[in-house]
Amino acid sequence: MFILHPVMLVISFVCAGVYAFLLRGVRVLMRGLVLLLPMMLVAAAMNPLFNHRGVTILTYLPNGNPVTLEAVLYGLAVAGMLATVITWFVAVNAVMTADKIVFLFGRFWPALSLLLSMSLRFVPRMIRQGRVIVVAQKGLGRKPNALKVISILMTWALENSIETANSMTARGYGLRRRTAFHLYKFHRRDVFALGWMITMALVVGVGVALGVNRYRFFPSVQFHALSGASVIVFVSYFALGAVPIILRAKEVLVWKRINSAM
Amino acid sequence: METYQLRDVTFTYPKRNHRALSNINLTIRQGDFVVLCGASGSGKTTLLRLLKPAVAPHGTLTGNILFERAPLDDMPLRDVASKIGFVAQSPDDQIVTDKVWHELAFGLESLGVPSTDIRLRVAEMANFFGIQSLFRRDVATLSGGQKQLLALASVCVMQPSVLILDEPTAQLDPIAAGDFITALSKMNRETGMTIVLTEHRLEEVLPLAAQVLVLDAGRIIASGSPREAVMGLREVESTFFCAMPTPAHIWAAVDSCGCECPLTLREGINWLAVQRISPQQSQAINSSAQIQSSKYSFALTLKDIWFKYEKNAPDVLKGVSFTARHSEITAILGGNGAGKSTLLSVATGLIKPQRGKVSATHAVRLLTQNPQALFLRNTVADDLREITSDANELARTIGLCELEAVLESHPYDLSGGEQQRAALAKILLTQPKILLLDEPTKGVDAHYKQSFIKILRRLASEGMTIVIVSHDIEFCAECADNCALLFDGDVVAQSNTRAFFAGNRFYTTAANRMARGILPAAITADDIIEALHEV
Repeated sequence: MFILHPVMLVISFVCAGVYAFLLRGVRVLMRGLVLLLPMMLVAAAMNPLFNHRGVTILTYLPNGNPVTLEAVLYGLAVAGMLATVITWFVAVNAVMTADKIVFLFGRFWPALSLLLSMSLRFVPRMIRQGRVIVVAQKGLGRKPNALKVISILMTWALENSIETANSMTARGYGLRRRTAFHLYKFHRRDVFALGWMITMALVVGVGVALGVNRYRFFPSVQFHALSGASVIVFVSYFALGAVPIILRAKEVLVWKRINSAM
Repeated sequence: METYQLRDVTFTYPKRNHRALSNINLTIRQGDFVVLCGASGSGKTTLLRLLKPAVAPHGTLTGNILFERAPLDDMPLRDVASKIGFVAQSPDDQIVTDKVWHELAFGLESLGVPSTDIRLRVAEMANFFGIQSLFRRDVATLSGGQKQLLALASVCVMQPSVLILDEPTAQLDPIAAGDFITALSKMNRETGMTIVLTEHRLEEVLPLAAQVLVLDAGRIIASGSPREAVMGLREVESTFFCAMPTPAHIWAAVDSCGCECPLTLREGINWLAVQRISPQQSQAINSSAQIQSSKYSFALTLKDIWFKYEKNAPDVLKGVSFTARHSEITAILGGNGAGKSTLLSVATGLIKPQRGKVSATHAVRLLTQNPQALFLRNTVADDLREITSDANELARTIGLCELEAVLESHPYDLSGGEQQRAALAKILLTQPKILLLDEPTKGVDAHYKQSFIKILRRLASEGMTIVIVSHDIEFCAECADNCALLFDGDVVAQSNTRAFFAGNRFYTTAANRMARGILPAAITADDIIEALHEV
């Protein structure tokens, strides 16, 4: 994701794009692209204005600074990386619901997962109670002012949290050795998926560390010549990025096959 | 085996002179279903909470409380948490987490039970209470009754040997309350779990109880089986009778032949069948159902109201027409989701209907369900002064709402009934001519209900037009001049109260169902008592 090698960028961007499309549909993706493209262009255009490294001078700015080919290309690469990151997040947003986040953090810090879970309940409750107070004040024939509503809301929240605290102690909160329950199971196929992903990531990592696809933008753009090793790295990188796509596509296909058979 | 033994238990709150409980002696056996009752302030909640150290009030305690024959004080915290389950009144406040499954697991997480065991215990509990379909839901999407069932289930997963419940159905509508009591009795019957609860809705709970304890001013004034407790209560001539089930209430007022006290409606019907009622008396009550006042004018008229909350949402109100007469109390009854609260919001002008017309002779004021949404200051007196500083007006309203004793208390420290009256006082100070009340009896005990009825009747006689929206059939029957039934977004019936209830077969008061065969037009316990006294 953070590698600026153009081939790697394209691989990652394509994977993210396809996955986001599978999850959110073509509309969300198009809307995303409409926002992304201008942003990419701006990022690509801005870089040469401030970055003057590089040996291939294209032209000079009015203030005398050179615009270099290397800076333009670097700007494009960074813009591509930004777009890729954003596209991945579009997909992540659809997959990672709050309770999954709570679960992940809960493994390392049970208190935090409880805190998150309580906040997730508390905030919407405050908003709802705020509305109740506004209606109550209007019923009294008054225009509710924000300060009053917040003051009533605070008293309400504090008073009622005593009852919540009671309910927690009544159920043994504060005893030692608290566990964190969750609904997720680690299946065999999770082992396979995880193993696959770790292997591919290792291949890519080792490849990058050994410099089989070394690249540089400055002072002049240079890429390591294509070799067997670099192809392996590219393929592995694709095999890593395509995991969610394969899983998702398989699900869709199985669903269609079973339903059409019926 | 005894679950609890209390020996000479006396309790005093800090900085108070009088005892909240004095010389309580009682034994609760394993598997008992115990109902603690008494008026607000009788000490029943104090006694109940002393049974679970984690929620016990602060103060001075003398005497001994034994749990399974060992002093409760010496019990390890882990056992207190797991063996004694506690369910409180408010469904919203006692739920801690955002997901149903997480809430169910909460107690077991605290005890450090491994995930695999939690999975099984949570599953069996969800099945037992029939809430497995809610398992992955957000707590916020549940109804009040479902939340309270969840609270019960998430205590039961810890497999306690005793369950302590503090007015668990006070915030629920009658249907949800019935479901909750059914679940509780199932727990008691099928697992032998000891149950101790305080309750002011006794009609359904009392027949289930193995032991009933009636408290008054910190003392047990009657105890034993439900029948023994009612008899004992009659001997000490307690005013608490208004809270008893209707058949017992009527029996206590009239029985002289030494018949056994009826507790359930079925027993009540059989008991009434052998009583003598004069024909004139039944005539008198019947004819009063026919009386219709001929001269009246409307204070509030809603005509063909259609309303929905969103463009594509279903209609909540479907062409409702409704009228409220001047200086009368009109009650709107109806189940959950019938659109009652929406109708009030439309009548108050808080929301505009998509179609139809609302006309009122004066400004309409609305007292919403939750009185806590009104209180702004640290004492009741300050809170009322916030509306007006006119001393005469304040004194008059405080007197009317019987708030003298609680003026210096924090509004949140009042009982449900007192909070409701403080909120009423606040809205009365705005000088309303037309007053709408949304579920005014929620969380209010029988005694306060009576005083609330008196206040409302007095206001109506002084010229105020009152509209009440409520689930509480008994309250509406005693309080209202007219009743309307709202169903599926429309008023399906509206008539004078006696005609309304006497005409219904199922949606009617316990007294009416009990006396239907003999006094078809009797709708309150007082009607029947009067008829029986005349003989």
